[in-house]
Amino acid sequence: METIISVKDLDIKFNLRGQILHAIRGVSLDIYKGESLAVVGESGSGKSVFFKSMMGLLDANGFISGGEILYNGRDLTKITKEKDWMSIRGSEIAIVMQDPMTSLNPLHTVGAQVTEAVKIHQGLRGMAAKMAAIEHLADVGIPEPERRYNQYPHEFSGGMRQRACIAIAIACKPKVLICDEPTTALDVTIQAQILELIKQMKRRYNLTTIYITHDLGVVAGVADRVLVMYAGDFVEIASVEELFYDPRHPYTWALLSGMPQLGVRGEDLYSIAGTPPNLTYPIAGDAVAPRNPNALKIDFVSRPPLFEVSPTHKVRSWTLDPRAPEIPVPENILRMRRAGGRGL
Amino acid sequence: MIKYILKRIGSSLLTLFLIVTIAFCLLRLMPEEGYFNNYDKMSPTKIKVGREMLGLNAPMYLQLGRFYKQIITLDLGVSSRYRVNTPINKIIGPKMLLSLKMGMLGVGFSLVIGLSLGVIMSKSARSKSRFKLWDKLGSAFVVIIQAVPMAVYCLFIQIFGTELLNRFFRLPMLFSRENSLTWILPVFSYALGGISMYAMWTRRYMNDEANKDYVLLARAKGVSAGKISRSHIFRNAIVPLIQYIPTSVALTLMGSLYVESRYSIPGMGGLLVDVIKKQDNPMVQALVLIYSALSVAAVLIGDILMALADPRISLGKKEDVR
Repeated sequence: METIISVKDLDIKFNLRGQILHAIRGVSLDIYKGESLAVVGESGSGKSVFFKSMMGLLDANGFISGGEILYNGRDLTKITKEKDWMSIRGSEIAIVMQDPMTSLNPLHTVGAQVTEAVKIHQGLRGMAAKMAAIEHLADVGIPEPERRYNQYPHEFSGGMRQRACIAIAIACKPKVLICDEPTTALDVTIQAQILELIKQMKRRYNLTTIYITHDLGVVAGVADRVLVMYAGDFVEIASVEELFYDPRHPYTWALLSGMPQLGVRGEDLYSIAGTPPNLTYPIAGDAVAPRNPNALKIDFVSRPPLFEVSPTHKVRSWTLDPRAPEIPVPENILRMRRAGGRGL
Repeated sequence: MIKYILKRIGSSLLTLFLIVTIAFCLLRLMPEEGYFNNYDKMSPTKIKVGREMLGLNAPMYLQLGRFYKQIITLDLGVSSRYRVNTPINKIIGPKMLLSLKMGMLGVGFSLVIGLSLGVIMSKSARSKSRFKLWDKLGSAFVVIIQAVPMAVYCLFIQIFGTELLNRFFRLPMLFSRENSLTWILPVFSYALGGISMYAMWTRRYMNDEANKDYVLLARAKGVSAGKISRSHIFRNAIVPLIQYIPTSVALTLMGSLYVESRYSIPGMGGLLVDVIKKQDNPMVQALVLIYSALSVAAVLIGDILMALADPRISLGKKEDVR
């Protein structure tokens, strides 16, 4: 498979009034052309930061302190000027953000905001740009696009706004589409529609899609490959089948156990004890260790390497080391494995 | 939108009507000395004749009716003591014009400089530079102007400004209508407060807007930094400021007491205080009316401008959201 984005040993830090927060801790990843990658993890695990760095959209106090991001061979970490990002933003990588209520400018018409993207990335002007924008609005399933074109965001419902945001992203003619929790702010009935729309756009425009989410249900529905993040590190990378049928990392077990679908009626829903580590302090060993009841001694000392389970399945945990003692797989994970993932 | 504007105009007219009525009632409560120039020396018969001439002996409702009629024909009556028997329109007209000219210059100046300074400060505050020099300098300026009493910095401007300008031109210390150079210092003193206010709020609102998601999305779709600053951040940041522009113009019409007295500008500043001290009842009544009408009009225009600038404001029929 052809690689579109290749990240090598990426380090991202934030300067918080003199304190340095190590948000992304030396991660590597290849993203393949046309794939659908899902990224899961708790809030603050670095999911959004990791992908925002590919568009130069880190907050002003964030910076890349090491490693490289190769996009079709071009190193994005070398871009320093805002102007040079223009050739990446939109035209190569576009984004759909979490909250459609706030991601549109309330004082511009929806049409104008789509047209803005059309003008920049399709080189159209005047009437032609407007017609193209209306077409994009129609494409994402907004009824009466001519009338809707002149309306303001507050005249749109949440689902319609997210459609408009997708129209904006599509109008940029990107190759990669990052969906940063695209359904989190929407109500459940709309969520499926929006995911279906993104899938449809992916097929039609041959996009590489990246879903950032903490909803494992979304992951099962849309992803080819899943990346589990914790404390700025990748703990498990696997195809979607491998992740749900054969998860290996204790943190992934814990995440899966927290799904209501795996709970037993009448019992308390599983929750992961403890809190994520403070990333302003250096992390020794495995970041998950303090929250892992079966942690080994080495977990507190040395960072585990990525163990390869299969060519598509990599896990960063000492439990995979041949010398490690056998760790019992939680009962509900075994049950899911036996069920072949049914019931998700 | 039109419905909203009509509604607002209607409620403003109602407010004005109430103010007119209250002003009338208040005046009748004041001692009647205020209607005559030399009340102390007048005989009771003379007072009676005088009252008759002013129509003060007629029943209240007739007087009130007459008063409304006067107002509608824009006749504010005659001054009784400030300038005896001069029509009030004639007294106020030129003063108001002068205050208006000076005030408009001041407001215009403070808007241009204040907004620009605010933009520069905001850009500097959001830059990656460690020192953020412009923001710090600007903030220092704002704090100084806000903290130092106007009387103090105006005095400084008058003394040192005159001296400075005197090196290049012949400049008298006081204002004179004919010499356009004498306008500079009063307008500048007048504008300083406005500059600091507009700079402070522009900076603050721009910083607020710059952190919003739609700005991030605009960046993500490849809009240039300059265009984001202009058509997204600045455009949205000035909406709350627009509302106050008419009010500050109205305030200029009331004149600036301090600046006008320092440069002895024959404007509106202090006029109300003067006529109250002199117990000139018709003048007090006229000024109260003018000032309140101005305030009502300013708020009204501010609201309308705001509604034009922000599509979310409409008290009219709600279109159903789908």
